[in-house]
Amino acid sequence: MQCGVLVTSMGAIETTTLRKEFGDVRAVDDLDLTVEQGEVFGFLGHNGAGKSTTINMLLGFLSPTAGEIEVLGHDVTEESRAVRQRTGLLPEGYEPYPNLTGREHVESAIDAKGADDDPDELLERVGLAPEAARRKAKGYSTGMQQRMSLAVALVGEPDLLIFDEPSSGLDPEGVALLREIIQTETERGATVFFSSHILDEVEKVCDRVGILSHGELVAVDTIDNLRSELQAGATVSATLETVPDDLGLDGIDAVRSVTVEDQVVTAECTDPRAKMRVLRALDDRATVADIGIEDASLEALFDQFTGDEVTAPDETAAEATESPPEQAVAPDGGDR
Amino acid sequence: MSVTTVLRDDVRNTRRSFVVLGVIAVLTVFVGLIVGSDASAHDYPYRALFDVSFFFFLALPLIITPLTYLAVAGDRDSGAIKHALGLPNTRAEYLTAKYISRSAVAVAGILVALVVGFVVATVAYPNAPDPVRFLKFGAVSALFALSMTGIFVAISSMTKARSRAMFGVITAYFVLGPFWLGFLPVVNLGTIIDTVTSTLGVTLTDQTMGLIQSLSPTVAYLQSTEFVYAGVLDNHEMIARNFQGDEYYTKLWFNSLVMGAWAAVTLGIGYVRFRVAELG
Repeated sequence: MQCGVLVTSMGAIETTTLRKEFGDVRAVDDLDLTVEQGEVFGFLGHNGAGKSTTINMLLGFLSPTAGEIEVLGHDVTEESRAVRQRTGLLPEGYEPYPNLTGREHVESAIDAKGADDDPDELLERVGLAPEAARRKAKGYSTGMQQRMSLAVALVGEPDLLIFDEPSSGLDPEGVALLREIIQTETERGATVFFSSHILDEVEKVCDRVGILSHGELVAVDTIDNLRSELQAGATVSATLETVPDDLGLDGIDAVRSVTVEDQVVTAECTDPRAKMRVLRALDDRATVADIGIEDASLEALFDQFTGDEVTAPDETAAEATESPPEQAVAPDGGDR
Repeated sequence: MSVTTVLRDDVRNTRRSFVVLGVIAVLTVFVGLIVGSDASAHDYPYRALFDVSFFFFLALPLIITPLTYLAVAGDRDSGAIKHALGLPNTRAEYLTAKYISRSAVAVAGILVALVVGFVVATVAYPNAPDPVRFLKFGAVSALFALSMTGIFVAISSMTKARSRAMFGVITAYFVLGPFWLGFLPVVNLGTIIDTVTSTLGVTLTDQTMGLIQSLSPTVAYLQSTEFVYAGVLDNHEMIARNFQGDEYYTKLWFNSLVMGAWAAVTLGIGYVRFRVAELG
């Protein structure tokens, strides 16, 4: 997705030892984060991990206790207006002005940014029907409110889009539309900062992810690299017409274990890139009737990175194979 | 440009609620009733303005409370402020727009009420109302509304919870009104000053006490209405009793300055707090 016209070496978001304390509570702890221009960056964490606090600091809603924040080349503490001029925000858990219509919210954003967008086009793009767009926002469902907020965020073709839990309240059609919009926006060069605890969504749209736990950034990388780092790997299963004595998998370092049951050979890989080598080796020695591949899910990775106890890669890899991902983390990402 | 954007949004949002209608309706009904009922006892409509001034002094701050106490605190509580300040609007522009919007409603309420009062006076009194007196009265009453709205919006900008905003606004009303003027028995500004001066063994002159009394926007408002009765005070001892003395703090310019200063200073303090407020 990194194909935008604005891609440069400068980060869209750069934080340096960013810290936020509320009394005795350290909500964000020395956060060093760089989000490159043109990428879709997933910002993950449990509720209370510090995601929204970080976003609030990026926009100047909160002042950092310590550290520096640069967004689109501007120091947020000094030039938050310039940041907001070039940023589209979809905030989490806010109520719109109850007596303004959805269309008027979008008009407000167009006026404030001095943009020349057509509000009706933006509302149509996010799937808010014209009659709904002319109703007062206090009657909106959560999904309608999210669509309206998305239209507001898209005003003025912002260089940076900050989405805080954008899928909340959206139906599957809305989620698909959101993905499509993110794709379109990154194609024109926008950066998308995507904060969510719906890991499935993040996995589908994000180039890289950062995992926040108790205010600390515990991992930043592509999902594949995170899998490799934890040796969470993948599982390859192949149904062979005849199982040979020598499967030819001993020479592949990344294969952790091999089991054969009936005619199904299952190889656990510590590195997802070993999958093809496993399949080629099996294909060389037998006729492969069917295959199945399962990468370690982002949920499993998330659980390992945000676990209370830090575990060694070998141990975490073992845990990953022992614990099915769907048991490793609550689907709603709630506090545990 | 951003002030007008926030202002337009706030006017639209407020206008479509019952608050605006309620404020204007209550002011209009009460002013109409006061002017109308006074007609049975007095020959001149300006006498009714004197009663309306006490109604404004006591009730106007309370009537505009629902209009003002949530101006900023309500947006912070609901999170709607993230819409306005997620856009390139500054906090100064946001606060300015909120003040203008809410002040406009308060002033509009007073003007509508006085227009209705003027019409009632035209019909009910044997002597026709003097439009200049009504205009003068409308001007100082509007200034009082601007002052109290400024104080209340400033309090709203310093709080993030609805309950605190309400408590702050009601406290300000009682301190600056009944407490300051001495309407509250036992504990009021006069008794507290007496206690303090007695304890310290000092005495304040009447002029100093008068100055202190005049520093409240509500007292300043009552004193500022003196020019409404220019030329008729000799005929109305009851009205004249309220405007004795010729010290500088009883003059219109000083009273106007006090009302303006309360709005400006409290809004300034509110902005200083709001500028660095945590909006998370």
